Amino acid sequence: MQRFDRGLAMVFGFGLLALALAVAVETILRKVFNKSLQGVDELGGYVLAVTAALSFAVAVRSRTHIRIDLIHDHLPSALRVVLNALAALSIAVCALAALYMGWIALTDTIQYNATAQTPWATPLKFPQGAWVAALALFAAVAVYEAVRVIGLAATGQSGTIDRSFGPRGAKDELDEELADLKARGAVEVVPVAKERS
Amino acid sequence: MSLALVGIISFLLMVGLMLLGMPIAAVMLLLGLFGGMAAHGLAFFTSSASVAWGVMSENNLTAIPLFVLLGEFLLRSGMADRMYTVFAAWLGRLPGGLLHTNIGCCALFAATSGSSVATAATIGTVALPSLRKNGYPMADSLGSLAAGGTLGIMIPPSINFIIYGSMTNTSVGKLFIAGIIPGLALAGFFMLWIYLSNMRRAERLAIIEVPWAERVRLLRHLVEPLLVFGIVMGTLYAGIATATESAALGLVVAFVLVTLQGKLNMALLENCFVSSAKTTGMILLIVLGAFVLNLALSLTGIGEALTKWVTGFGLGRVQLLLLLIGFYLVLGMFMDTLSMMVATIPLVFPVVSTVGVDPIWFGVFIVLMCELGLITPPVGMNLFVVQGIRPDGGPVSDVIRGALPYAIIMILFALLLIAVPAIATWLPTYMRG
Repeated sequence: MQRFDRGLAMVFGFGLLALALAVAVETILRKVFNKSLQGVDELGGYVLAVTAALSFAVAVRSRTHIRIDLIHDHLPSALRVVLNALAALSIAVCALAALYMGWIALTDTIQYNATAQTPWATPLKFPQGAWVAALALFAAVAVYEAVRVIGLAATGQSGTIDRSFGPRGAKDELDEELADLKARGAVEVVPVAKERS
Repeated sequence: MSLALVGIISFLLMVGLMLLGMPIAAVMLLLGLFGGMAAHGLAFFTSSASVAWGVMSENNLTAIPLFVLLGEFLLRSGMADRMYTVFAAWLGRLPGGLLHTNIGCCALFAATSGSSVATAATIGTVALPSLRKNGYPMADSLGSLAAGGTLGIMIPPSINFIIYGSMTNTSVGKLFIAGIIPGLALAGFFMLWIYLSNMRRAERLAIIEVPWAERVRLLRHLVEPLLVFGIVMGTLYAGIATATESAALGLVVAFVLVTLQGKLNMALLENCFVSSAKTTGMILLIVLGAFVLNLALSLTGIGEALTKWVTGFGLGRVQLLLLLIGFYLVLGMFMDTLSMMVATIPLVFPVVSTVGVDPIWFGVFIVLMCELGLITPPVGMNLFVVQGIRPDGGPVSDVIRGALPYAIIMILFALLLIAVPAIATWLPTYMRG
């Protein structure tokens, strides 16, 4: 599963890097050489649609969809289990709704053979097809997580639910940042100012 | 029951669900769907389908993942870390020396990395031990770190401005440029406060003395971050590039710089990709939820009814804005600030537009309110992050006390912004393109 998460992030990252390169080249050609590779902005939209849907799935897996933990941490364990299960379910329902929206958009496009109102006149079924596929992945991941939390709740494993499905507080995020800080050796690089009191 | 009342009840329901710990994005998206379907049945899905594709393939929003990834590159490659050294060397001599360093460094670090958590973690970790050793009161140190970290969302590039721009059809480029003076001015006011409040104890605090040659030598660490920043802002200001294009140019340059430093490897890429995918997913799902909610508000007529209801009180521009400061102050105490902004724009923006508030100016105002929300308890992200890195394990009330003067400065600054709107609107008028 770790490998799966990493794979999603890789597609996301390389997709955006490639896009950035294309956009940068286009901008320079347009401004410096007065030549335009038309349609890069259109491509940017399609890349966003697909990478965004993939990033939804990554955020589900890493629990980064924001939840406010102000009250949560003070509730009795049983209520926390219910709320954590509901939270996972709500994301799953969202994902399914988004997939359904994507499906409606795609079937409409196919029915009318719609093309983009751009110089490329891209048949929209291709980018929308990729978008819907990415949304389907998001939905699959979100439903999988929801099923997992319900399974844990049914078998009374409230501890695991707290650890794996509770809201990520500032503490969790901070710990990650601190670990990364240590890994990149910033602390050794930075405070070199000579002090004299 | 009037539509405006339905709107108010729904808003309270939404905030209630969020406080219970339901995911912010899901609350907005599902509330929008239920509301829309209650009024229009399954047909609402068809309308929201075209909105969903429209939002998610909106090239202007592509700037969000690009800027997030750019920030990750600058952060994870260590490029941003080295800025602290420079600031410590140059600002250490002022009264309250290292506290100025905190503000300056946090502002720049937060603007480049785009993450207030990473900012507080990095600057705090390197700064706190030296602050403590040099006899700075812990509350003051923590407060300056928490407040300094908020400056990043005002100083461009700022994700908040991109989202505001896309939700209100306002130019993101102009918003970025508009944020520069208020961001720097606010940093200036923070530093003025530190200067004034440390005049008396300046004698007792250790002063960091760095030889001039060393100071000049250290400046090279600013070259790379400033090059990236200059390319992003320069191309925007000169009208050469849109926000998305400037983000792409900045990303390519940062990528080249990291490669030239010999820091480019798979581990770094993976690290950056994973972090930015997480952040992007979190932000964009909230944006999608907000657009669906916005659609429901307009199709059901609730948005219009609320606007009519509020304008019915006949409040003028100043009265309305003062009321909004209070509204955002309270809301920001309990809500995550990005969500607060996204959830209130559909309700508030039409109202302020009717009394003639400039959309660019209001973008700056709302981001200022988000900054305030980051340091007001009980839910102030920066307070807790800073608390999490303090070495002495004292109570969180120290941080709250230390950040309080900055919260007051922000409110005063909001009043100043209302009195002198040109602080935000002057610079964008000189933009080309």
